[in-house]
Amino acid sequence: MQAAARIGFTRLLGKYAVVTNSIPAAEYAVALAPSDPEAHRARARVMNRLKIPIEARKSFETASSLRYRDDYLWLELGATRDELGDTAGALAAFDQAVRWAPYYAHTHWQRGNLRLRAGQYNEALEDLRAATASRKSLLPNFIDLAWGLARGDVKTAEQLIQIDGDRDRLAFARFLATKGKGAECVEHVRLLGTPLSEQNRSELVEQLIRAKAFRHAFELWRTENSLKPPVILNSGFEAPISLAQRAFGWNIFPKTEAAVAADRAQKVSGQHSLRIKFGGEWKAIGEVISQLIVVEPQKRYRISFAVRTHELVTGGPPIIAINDAADNKRLGQSEPFPTPTSEWQNIGFEFSTADATQAVVLEFTKVEAPCTPCPIYGELWLDDFLIEHVTTTNSQR
Amino acid sequence: MDQKRRKGLRAIAALLLLSIAQVGLQVGLAEPASNTAPIAPQTVGRLTTRNNQPIQVNGLSAASGASILSGAVLETGADQSATVNVGALGTLDISPNTRVTLTFDDQGNIKALVAAGCVILTAKTNATGEIATDQGSLGKTNPATGGTLEMCNQPGAAPVVGPGVAANAGAGAGAGAAAGAAAGGGGLFGLGVPATIAIVSAGTAAGLTPLFFQDNPSGPNN
Repeated sequence: MQAAARIGFTRLLGKYAVVTNSIPAAEYAVALAPSDPEAHRARARVMNRLKIPIEARKSFETASSLRYRDDYLWLELGATRDELGDTAGALAAFDQAVRWAPYYAHTHWQRGNLRLRAGQYNEALEDLRAATASRKSLLPNFIDLAWGLARGDVKTAEQLIQIDGDRDRLAFARFLATKGKGAECVEHVRLLGTPLSEQNRSELVEQLIRAKAFRHAFELWRTENSLKPPVILNSGFEAPISLAQRAFGWNIFPKTEAAVAADRAQKVSGQHSLRIKFGGEWKAIGEVISQLIVVEPQKRYRISFAVRTHELVTGGPPIIAINDAADNKRLGQSEPFPTPTSEWQNIGFEFSTADATQAVVLEFTKVEAPCTPCPIYGELWLDDFLIEHVTTTNSQR
Repeated sequence: MDQKRRKGLRAIAALLLLSIAQVGLQVGLAEPASNTAPIAPQTVGRLTTRNNQPIQVNGLSAASGASILSGAVLETGADQSATVNVGALGTLDISPNTRVTLTFDDQGNIKALVAAGCVILTAKTNATGEIATDQGSLGKTNPATGGTLEMCNQPGAAPVVGPGVAANAGAGAGAGAAAGAAAGGGGLFGLGVPATIAIVSAGTAAGLTPLFFQDNPSGPNN
């Protein structure tokens, strides 16, 4: 009973020492219970925090000899030896950690990282793979490490990782998407044994768009191979439109100051057009509707559409503009919409893409006007959007 | 009959030996020479975080012991600080709320590009340390002597360079330990730790004793 109380008291003293970084408290704990590994561990931790690793090492060595099956103690000893530049000693300690917890990720992970720094690449990769196999949450870290070791070479990284199954492959595809490696990402998606879930597909598409790999994002997004860029999706607003943000197709901004809705009463063709109604305020310019369109660099395109206005009153009339999706640079814009009222009329304009342009954003905005913000009243309708190469006669439909 | 049986046994033994030798040979030939792609030797840093709390490295959670390759983007939160030890080149101490890109090479260059927050870069002799923001370089060390550079780059303010600016912001994995040690030397302990703790914790001490009997916290199996 007395011995148990002494141990309990020593443990508490050790905790106190660690919390306050108190050497005297740690020393006292060790003096009270010299055969308690926890007391030595506490002293070692205090010494490490106070940047006295030589003393920390001594205490960890004592602690691990007293409780030699504690993998965490071996890991802490290894880390301290590593800190002191004793790579061989650190590795010996990590070997013991792996010995006593051979199927756990943390021991292999630590040893793998040490071996990596020591230049033992094959052994390091074996350990890191073992750690990843045991704990899948380490896979993104392993992929990131392999990517760095491969200096950004996809094939080498793939060899280092040794992809094993769909889970690994999807994680690698996801990583490639964040790096903007669109072609390689799509290639790995194609190699998946099971079809990509909708959630994974949209996540990958989103990552590719964020990394500005627009063409491959579209390739992954499309469900019909016949759908080829350049194309304006739902160009006549015949399919339902929603406020949900989407990679491709019309984006209706949820907080737009305009009232946006499909309209069956007015149309040029089909059954619907899009009606946009204003009631005065329009501060969030460009945040009404937009669509991302994949194009090719150094090409000339024509955009055409039909517009109808009714009692549209404003100092800054609306327009349709085309911006480079990568840097938001304006590439072209339509003439201002007719005011105050007009029947359906076709408007067209051309634009050229830059050397690096992969995609453009078509947006509903307004001309630059001296009034900011410009009040706007009335309504307008849009229908029958079309994009085509100027040099060819093939239209999207 | 006995002789026949003996001969038969000898033949079987000889065949068995031959079979084992064959299997051994097959296994030996089946071993791959190497199953990984060659990696060009490169310098790899070691991450140490305060209290082993994970920080973000290239957008992923990483704790003490993680390897840091050149070009890594390290990001600390409000209560996190870290140190990257890059062997012969030097160390980088990172304060809380810092975002820094660390690059280094085999020619002895180590550079901290600080997007936000505070760092202390210590370059060893024969290494050239450099601190910078996206606006440009703010200082370099002399490879003949090595040296330490400190800087803070807080949003909305001009970068500050000079001794103590980052240390005061809590840079490094061991940040705050010295202050704690000082407190440990006096304070409560100065009043007589054994007595104080005994009073506070008499009840909990006994409850902790079962921990003493646990030998391997992970256990050998999953």
